[in-house]
Formats: sequence, C-alpha cells, structure tokens
Amino acid sequence: MTIVDIRPHLREWAMPHVLCAGCAHGIVGRAFLVATDRAGIDPDRMVVVAGIGCSSRLVGYLDFCTLHATHGRAPAFATGVKLARPELTVAVFSGDGDGLAIGGNHLIHAARRNIDLTVVLFNNEIYGMTGGQVAPTTQRGAIASTTPRGNTEPAFDSVALMIGAGASFVARASASEPFTLERIFTEALTHRGFAFVEVLSDCPTYFGRYNRLGDGPEMLAWLTRQDSRVAEPLAAKRVVDHLPIPEAPPGLDLGVLHREERPVFTGRRSG
Amino acid sequence: MSARGVVLAGVGGQGVVLASAVLAEAALQSGFEVKQSEVHGMAQRGGAVVSHIRYGDTVASPIVPLATADVLAGFEWAEALRWLPYLAPGGALVVDARRIVPPGACRDHRRWGVPYPPLDPTSIAGRTGAVVLIDATGIAGTLGNVKAANSVVMGAVSRFLDLSDAAWEKAIARFVPPRTVDLNIEAFHAGQQAETLDPADIPELGLDPLPERHYHIDVNEAWCKDCGICPSICPEFCLALDDAHRLVVVDEEACTGCRLCEVLCPDFAIRIVTPVGAQGGAR
Amino acid sequence: MKQSRLIQGNEACALGAVAAGCRFYAGYPITPSSEIAEYMARHLPEEDGVFVQMEDEISSLGAVIGASFAGARAMTATSGPGFSLMQEHIGYAVMAEAPCVIVDVMRAGPSTGRPTSPSQGDVMAARWGTHGDHPAIVLTPASVTEIFELTVRAFELAETLRMPVIVLYDEVLGHTRETVELPPRVEIAGRRTPRVAPTEFRPKEAGPDGVPPLPAFGDGYRFHVTGLTHDERGFPTDEAEVAGRLIRRLHAKVEAHRDDIVEVETLLCDDADIVIFAFGIVARAAKEAVMVARAQGLRVGLLRPRTIWPFPDREVAKITAGASVVLVAEMNLGQVVREVERAVAGNARVEGLFRADGEAIDPEEILQALAPDLEGAAR
Ligand SMILES: Cc1ncc(C[n+]2csc(CCOP(=O)(O)OP(=O)(O)O)c2C)c(N)n1
Ligand code: SF4
Ligand code: SF4
Ligand code: SF4
Ligand SMILES: [Mg+2]
Repeated sequence: MTIVDIRPHLREWAMPHVLCAGCAHGIVGRAFLVATDRAGIDPDRMVVVAGIGCSSRLVGYLDFCTLHATHGRAPAFATGVKLARPELTVAVFSGDGDGLAIGGNHLIHAARRNIDLTVVLFNNEIYGMTGGQVAPTTQRGAIASTTPRGNTEPAFDSVALMIGAGASFVARASASEPFTLERIFTEALTHRGFAFVEVLSDCPTYFGRYNRLGDGPEMLAWLTRQDSRVAEPLAAKRVVDHLPIPEAPPGLDLGVLHREERPVFTGRRSG
Repeated sequence: MSARGVVLAGVGGQGVVLASAVLAEAALQSGFEVKQSEVHGMAQRGGAVVSHIRYGDTVASPIVPLATADVLAGFEWAEALRWLPYLAPGGALVVDARRIVPPGACRDHRRWGVPYPPLDPTSIAGRTGAVVLIDATGIAGTLGNVKAANSVVMGAVSRFLDLSDAAWEKAIARFVPPRTVDLNIEAFHAGQQAETLDPADIPELGLDPLPERHYHIDVNEAWCKDCGICPSICPEFCLALDDAHRLVVVDEEACTGCRLCEVLCPDFAIRIVTPVGAQGGAR
Repeated sequence: MKQSRLIQGNEACALGAVAAGCRFYAGYPITPSSEIAEYMARHLPEEDGVFVQMEDEISSLGAVIGASFAGARAMTATSGPGFSLMQEHIGYAVMAEAPCVIVDVMRAGPSTGRPTSPSQGDVMAARWGTHGDHPAIVLTPASVTEIFELTVRAFELAETLRMPVIVLYDEVLGHTRETVELPPRVEIAGRRTPRVAPTEFRPKEAGPDGVPPLPAFGDGYRFHVTGLTHDERGFPTDEAEVAGRLIRRLHAKVEAHRDDIVEVETLLCDDADIVIFAFGIVARAAKEAVMVARAQGLRVGLLRPRTIWPFPDREVAKITAGASVVLVAEMNLGQVVREVERAVAGNARVEGLFRADGEAIDPEEILQALAPDLEGAAR
C-alpha cells in the first residue's frame, strides 16, 4: 500500500492544532486524511462537517470544505450539503457527547435514511472540550467531573444503536491501531450509504487524569486493551510463543461489524 | 444445526477477506444463515487480518466466541498461532506452512523483539483435534499463481465443513477475478487433497538480512507537543524525551522505517523520509 | 406568463420561493405552516429541487444551512414552537453568513398555545430569539400577494447579504385565500462569488458593502465555516480586536443596506392627526378602520411596515411628525409599541391596542380604541 504524505491535505497555516498534547483525536484525523487520499477523493469535492467538541475542532485543519456546525447537529448540516450537491463526498466528525447525547436524534435519523454520509464518532468516554463531564459513553464506575463518586449510569453501545437505526456500514476501531483505522475509513468512505465508524479515542487531560490512566502514551496502551479479541495486544505480541488463552475480556468488538446494501436516500426521484 | 464457527487469520494481502467472502457465500448457497465480520487486530505494517464466519440455522452474533471455532485457518503460521485461543477443543487447525516474518519481528528487536514462533506442532499439542499443515503457497505456485494459495487453504478447510463442492465452486466463481475462476477452483480441489506435511520436512526459516536503507526522521518542532507517544512506541528507541521533556532524535541510524511514530503522532509532527538515492526511493 | 388564481397565503409563500429559485426545502410539520412543506414536497422535485422532512426544526434549519453552503437557495418554514427550536441555527446562519429564508407563520403562544389561532407574539423572538448580538431582517407581508412578493424579496436579501431572512406572518394570512396574479419566475440578484483564485481566497474578507463573496462547496474553493468567532480567513480566533471587527461588520452590512431593506407603506398619512401603526393581518383591519374614519371626515392614516426589522425608526419619525397620536395595534401584549415610542421620541402620544387571546383584531376594535382621540382628528 502506498505511503500517503498527509501534509498537503492539512491547512498548514493553521497548525499546530489546538488539541492537548497526547490527545489521540489527532491520530484519528491523520488516518482519515490517509483514507481520503487512498479512496481517491478529489479534495475540492470533499466536505467534512463537524459538531462541537475537541474532536470536532479537528476539521478546521483539514484542507477540504469544512463546516464546523453546532453541537450535535452535524448530521443535519451534512444531510443538507449532500442532498443539495450529491456529487460531493460528505463526512461528519462528531464526539461521543456531540453525536450520542445532544445529537443522538440527528444521528439516528441520518442512519435510518441511509443517506450517503460517513460519520466518524470519536469516543473518549467524556466531554473533553467542556472540561471532563460525564458522557453517555462513560463506563459505569468511571470518574468524571460530574460523577465525582463514579458514574452510575450505563453506557451507550453506539454500534448496536446504529445497526438498529439502519446504518448500512457500521464499524468500530481504535485510535491505537492507525493502520486499521486507515483501512476502515477507506472502506467507509467508498461505501454507498450511511457509514458509521466509532473510534475509541482518549482524553488524557480529563478522563486520563480523573481515572489515573496516565498521559498520552499510557492511554494509547490502555486503548489497545479495549479490543475484545486481544486482551493485551502489545503484550500478546511478546508472549506469542507461549500463547496464553486470554480470559474473555470485557472489551468491545472491533472491526467492520455490519455491512449491507440498502437503497440510498437522495431526496430525488431517480435514486 | 447449531452454529458453526470458522476463524481465518493471515496478514494483509493474502486474501483473507476474499476467502471469508467465499466461505460465507458457500454457506449462504447451502441455505444457512451467515454472519461474517472482519476483525482488525493489532495491525502494524503488514497488518494482521482475521475474519470470523458463523453459519447455521440461526446465528445471532457474527463473532466466534473464544474456544468455539470448528476450524481455524491460518494463512500464515504465526497468525494461526496467535488466534489459537479461538479454536474449540478438538477443532481443526489448517495452516499454510508459509511463514511471513512480520516487521515487528525484524532486525534487532529490543522491545517487541519476539522470536518468530517455531514451526513446532508440539507447541500446540493437546489444543487441537487435527492439524493440517500444507504447503498451500507451493501448491498454488505449481498450478500457476501463488495468489491462489488462499483457495488451496479453503480446500483444506472444506474437509471439516459440511458444505457441498457445488456450493463452494459457485461461491469461488462469484468472488475471484473472472479470469482466475478455473485456477481457483483447481486450487480449491488441490487443497482438499493436499497431503499433510511433517514439520520436520520444512526448512527452518532464516531471517533475510534487511536491505540497507536509511531513514530520516523529520520532526516538525513547531507542531510537536512533546507528548511522549513516539518515544514510547518506537521499537528501535530512536526517539526520546530529554531531561527538559523535549522530544529528541537519539538514534536515526537504528530507524527501520516502520512509521509507527508517524501514524501515532497526534500532531502530524513526524514524517519518515527515505532519502533520494537510497534503495526504495524517496517517499 | 402570469397566472390568476385563488390561492392560500401559505401556497403563495411556496410559490414565491420556487419562483425565486429556491431548490431546497427542509422542514418539520407544524400547524399553521404545514401547507408550505406540502406544496414544496409536491413541486420541488419538478424543478429538480429537493424536499426533505427532517426529524425536528433544529435539524431542518441545519440542513437548510448545509444546502446553502452547497450552493442552493434554501428555505424552511415553521410556527411558534418550531421557531423556538430554530433559534440556535438562526444565530449560526448570522455568524457563518449562510443565506437562507425562514418563514414563521405565527400562532398563539407561549408554548403549544393555540395551534390554530393567529398571533403576532413572535415579533421580538424574530428579532432577539437567538442569543448574542446579531442583526436581523424580518419582513411582514399583509396579503397573499405580498406573501409571494416578500418571500421572493427575502431570498434576494438573504442571497445578496449572506444572512438569514425571516418572513413573518400569522395563521389567518397563511390560511387566507385571495385571487392573485403571480409570475412563475422572478429574477433576483444572487450571491456574489469570489473573483480571486482559490489560493488567494479569504472566505470572510468583505468588500466595501460588508458582504464577503461566497463560493459553493465543490466549486474549487476549499474553505472553513464556523459558528465560532473567526477572522477573515474564516478561522476561529480569540483576539478581541478581530472578534469585535466581525460582530460590527455583521451589523454594518445590514446598516449599509438599510434603506434598501426597509420598506413601509402609508395610507392617507400626509394630513393625519392619528396614525395607526399596524403590520400583517392587523394592518388589513386598520385599513378598514381608516376608511371608516375618513368617511366621517376624520384625519386618520395608516403606517404599515413591510419590513419590521431593522425597525423603520426614521420612517416612523418622519411620517408621524405631524400627528398628535400614534395608535399601535398588534396581536400581542405590546411588543412593537415600545419601538414605535422610541422612534416617535415624544413628538406624539403613543397608544396601544393589544390582543393576545388568539383572535384577530377587527376594525371595530380599532375605531373604539381611537374614539377618545377622534375629536381632535375632526377636520
Ligand atoms: C447547545 C450546546 N450545549 C452545550 C455546549 C457545550 N459543549 C461544547 S463541546 C461539548 C461536549 C463535547 O464532548 P464530546 O462531543 O464528547 O467531544 P470531545 O470534546 O470529548 O471530543 C459541550 C457540552 C455547546 N457548545 N452547545
Ligand atoms: S481536553 Fe481531552 S479530548 Fe480535548 S483535546 Fe484535551 S485531551 Fe483531547
Ligand atoms: S519509523 Fe519511527 S517508530 Fe519506526 S523505527 Fe523509525 S523512528 Fe522508530
Ligand atoms: S508523538 Fe508527535 S507530538 Fe508527541 S512527542 Fe512525538 S512528534 Fe512530538
Ligand atoms: Mg468526548
């Protein structure tokens, strides 16, 4: 696979970006740029719409047409862009709070319509931008600034939600596996219909600090342990010759978890 | 029929995804409900690819639970071993004897320096019901194209599944490139008949010396936030944080060009450059 | 070719939009504006346009803004509760400078109120409903024909000034049927596109009239749009000076075109001792009251704004200069009256006639309200 130099796809004049040191959101943004290149998308015809949050701020650095919308509503703006100009490739960047709390309804309905969008949901289990409040994805027991004694609410499973809502491509990937991310994004961008990719990302500044998970490097290692198939991949790599059977880990299923062909909503008579 | 589970594992480019599409289609053709999911493990370069296929009268989840797979097919030895925990006790392990040394095991691996696993069935003794070690790549080569190795493996896999040859052939015809249909069907049947090798007959795999390449680690200091991620993941310890917690390149010579630092830098601050003139060319 | 037909106010609105080149409509059903959506759903596809029914009014205006940046003339329509939900994106459209038209067919509120009854209770919401300092352009038609005209006008203002424009009328007008002659197409001025090469383009750099050119997404200009305070490159900034400059420009571009935007209509005001100030459906009743009063030889006139925001202060001051009483009749408990007081600046006594029960004000009520002052208005 060819190596993609992403710098031409960045608004270099706007760099460095505003995100904290070690925040994995940037890794995801990079993989997305590689995927747009691999998918052969003309940058002039690529539109990325974002909500509000740290993850959403990333779009300002991507040298496409970028629409930094309102909190949670990016799928609605993107729907307008795509319907008005179907030849554009339209993607959405959204945070877990953005996409699953305030914007949950918009996300559900965009999936139901199976409109040709690619939605990237950055799940860091927290509201990063506003200073570490609990999110609908925060695991039970985790500390956030508004759950000082530990979260007592259950977390959303966005993949199950999106499959139920009718998304025709649903995947989950991790910021700690950038090559996989590149591949899944490429598939999502070339899928016709509503493609949803939840990316396990992190927030060392708040989630990491509150839950004693360390800084950027430690949190990346922590992220690799979220994969249900590989309890501890870096470690597993080291111990491959004596092959412990891992305990069934409590983690999440990763990969392309659902794919189907369904009529795509274009708002026009000739689909 | 209770659900059957098959796990296919290999590295990128081996056709794991295609092979799993073929199996899923063959099961569909046979009237079963099928669920398939590709799983992307810890894909560093040469990316590991694994696919789960489950079929039966009704199947709920696409994921084969641990220790329940009827067949584990490895398109590559180390990958097969890595996914062994998914094989049911008494399940069949089908594996291509070909070994592809992943970049994580190349050169002098001080950190992830794992020796490539020995081709020794005793290391898996007691964990499987049957081990079918075949020279799939060699067989495919004799037939005319090593790329058909995945069909050879699937032929061997078919011995342990209850799907008709007709269903398999239809599925192959549907998914492989049109001009290679006959070749792949031939390869499939060769796989059904392939003899099981004795590991002793397979020559030990010597690590090829790496070609001489030099990489330049191009750090954009204006963008780097000294977050410490790249020093923590560089397998060759080329990068470090100094006492002032600033990123420094300490050993450019040792860089293998794996680009982990580049892809894991959240700030787009590192590029690995192969100088012009060096083997492999400029990036 | 003009067609003479008996049509409803809401249909005239949709016809006006299509005639002005609207090719994107996103909305959510709500009484008494739903007919606009239904008409658009039937007819936009014939024009190669797109209709979409969204999940709520927030997303409706969001989709409209998205379509607008993709180059379409775009519109949504709603009523009270939906108008409340749209406020978030009205502010966004102001800040991001997205051309779009929002129709609010007012019903009695607050809250769910009386869905099938008229009101003029959203005048201030149309001006100040969204947070922060922002300009507003709100047009107030008073007849079926005028709904058509002002919807067309709204598109022209939205496109040329790069901002949301609100068309505000009430349930009665929306459901009134009148015979009208309407052209199927109306040429309007559109948005200005950049003259410079993409590499030179600074998306929020305005010309002398304060309006930055706007290319469509996909036309080769790759630019950033944000609701955050931003600089001329369209990029977020925290510099107070840049922030102040942006907010002032957003107001200044409206101020610079103010005389073009503001339109009022007068009836027999020249010699009037009493001027009735009324807009929308109330102006129809006021007109009748004026005619009745004039028939009795009383010097009563009508001042009717077609543009309620920016408020026609200068026009009000000038037209009421010779009057001793200004009666403001509105279907709310007194929203516009304070603006009129401000504009009249003590030169006449300002009285109010308010009604907020979901019933329209009739001419008789207006005449009654005038009764104490009619003596002075006698010739
Ligand atoms: C209507 C509205 N409510 C609240 C906010 C404040 N706000 C900004 S970002 C954010 C949450 C962001 O969290 P998430 O979407 O998870 O993104 P992250 O910062 O974690 O990447 C909130 C609540 C807002 N901008 N708008
Ligand atoms: S606050 Fe958290 S999510 Fe936001 S940039 Fe910092 S680390 Fe990332
Ligand atoms: S490419 Fe980066 S991570 Fe890989 S060896 Fe070189 S410096 Fe280390
Ligand atoms: S990962 Fe990037 S930002 Fe972090 S220390 Fe390395 S170069 Fe700097
Ligand atoms: Mg978050």
